[in-house]
Amino acid sequence: MSHGSTDKCEPNMTPLLDLVLQLVMFFMISANFVMEQTSVEVKLPDAISAKPLDQSVDQVIFLNINAKGQVLLPPVDREGDNDTLDNPAQVEGYMKRRAAAEKIKTRKDKPESTLILRIDKLCPFEKSYPIMKACRSAGFSNVQLRAYRFSGQEG
Amino acid sequence: MSHKKRKMETDEVVADLPITPMLDMSFQLLSFFIMTFHPTATEGQIAMTLPPAVEGGGSSNPDITAEQPKKYVVRVAANEVGQIAQMTFREEGSPDDGGENLGADINVFRAKIKALSTAERKRIDAAAAKQSKIPPPKLTLELGDKLLQEYVIGLFDAAVQADFSDIAPVPIAKDKR
Repeated sequence: MSHGSTDKCEPNMTPLLDLVLQLVMFFMISANFVMEQTSVEVKLPDAISAKPLDQSVDQVIFLNINAKGQVLLPPVDREGDNDTLDNPAQVEGYMKRRAAAEKIKTRKDKPESTLILRIDKLCPFEKSYPIMKACRSAGFSNVQLRAYRFSGQEG
Repeated sequence: MSHKKRKMETDEVVADLPITPMLDMSFQLLSFFIMTFHPTATEGQIAMTLPPAVEGGGSSNPDITAEQPKKYVVRVAANEVGQIAQMTFREEGSPDDGGENLGADINVFRAKIKALSTAERKRIDAAAAKQSKIPPPKLTLELGDKLLQEYVIGLFDAAVQADFSDIAPVPIAKDKR
């Protein structure tokens, strides 16, 4: 039995580690972090012509409206423990408070924020229209409807 | 001499970074991200116009010499389950009060407003050649109460694809506006 050689036979792990770390980085970067102002409860409809948000828009307010026509307030916008606005009067009061706060901040006559309505695809128009009206009464004029960007072929 | 050489050999330090725990951790991180990876559809916006608060609102001192935009109205009735039951098209101020029946197929609506948009663009281009300016046409969607947002967006989508930029949704009942 020969005891002459004591060389270790180890696989080189470094390239494997490099590759794994690169994969980890890819998944970390492409992970979809939950947006603070949007609600996963709202299922949006699809639209071919939906465009991504213009980068020049700096002030955006999201309103998440579920299938029952309730406005779901994200944690950052909650006032007290109330996390839903159940009727248009509550929505109007809330939007007026937001408009007043914005007018003080920007020192302008009208709120200039872009209002993005994320309305559930099963919400009937009779529930969503009073919310649009409430936003109009609060002075918001720049309103957009949110949809999933669908890139399918036209029928 | 040989003793000295042996001492030097034993003092040699081999720097060996243990890679195995790091690799284990990396695999755990990788499996976490793979398992939680959920590609969601990207979201986008469609611009809409909120109708004026008062019927006939807008500018309090309108310029009567300026060219007025064409105003088209599409009335969309909904059935009990919130789908499109019937659509009727009319031009605001036209003598035909009943309007043109477009049925319940959104593709008919799509074709109709596409044709309108093409004709309007020709008119705008002709006016531009004569140094005159015509504002873009307006589209008002009079929507039934039960109509689901899915169909509302479908109508908006078709109108935006036909190059309409001023689209306002209102309820059919005037007292609800």
